[in-house]
Amino acid sequence: MKRKSSDRKNKQATFNKLSLFHGNRYKFKRRCPLSVKGAPIVDYKNINLLKKYMSENGKMLPSRITNVSQKKQRQLSLSIKRARNLALL
Amino acid sequence: MNNYEHTIIVRQDISPTQMNQIIDKYTNLIEKNGGKLIQTQKWGLLNLSYIIKKNRKGNYIHFKIEGSGELIRELEKNEKIDKSLLKYLSVKVQKHDLETNYFEKKDKQIERERTK
Repeated sequence: MKRKSSDRKNKQATFNKLSLFHGNRYKFKRRCPLSVKGAPIVDYKNINLLKKYMSENGKMLPSRITNVSQKKQRQLSLSIKRARNLALL
Repeated sequence: MNNYEHTIIVRQDISPTQMNQIIDKYTNLIEKNGGKLIQTQKWGLLNLSYIIKKNRKGNYIHFKIEGSGELIRELEKNEKIDKSLLKYLSVKVQKHDLETNYFEKKDKQIERERTK
């Protein structure tokens, strides 16, 4: 399992370093944005959602930055790879 | 009987009549092999994010199929030899969600203009 607790210590330390990412200052909230009740379904066709979890030049963002749960991160990476295969992303 | 989502990308320089021929060809093939075509979505001409066989754009067609594995193998065998197809992808799915179509933004824009 990911070392949840020790992550939090250095997560605070890297707060200002990582805050160069545009906008969302609340991404360090503990809850995963995708497993909330009304969250959109992770799908290879849903490009707008996938784009949120990719960097500008199309690389996947790690879950420690986007704060996504492990299960959702696996689904995300699978659907991103499928979308890339279909030249959608 | 498994549920599959099958997407194909057709070359951009294809006349609408040829497009319909392709679609009919594969729907007949699905029916012939004992599969059931639940829905067909035309995502239209989209920009490809990278050049495939010297094409920058591609017509996307999305089938939602209920059938067996052999049917998909048969389908992909024919698609390999089909010159007008750039790419195909079939995904096994637990259940189909038929209402969400992420690529019909044209209709949405038309609706938005109408409601303005």
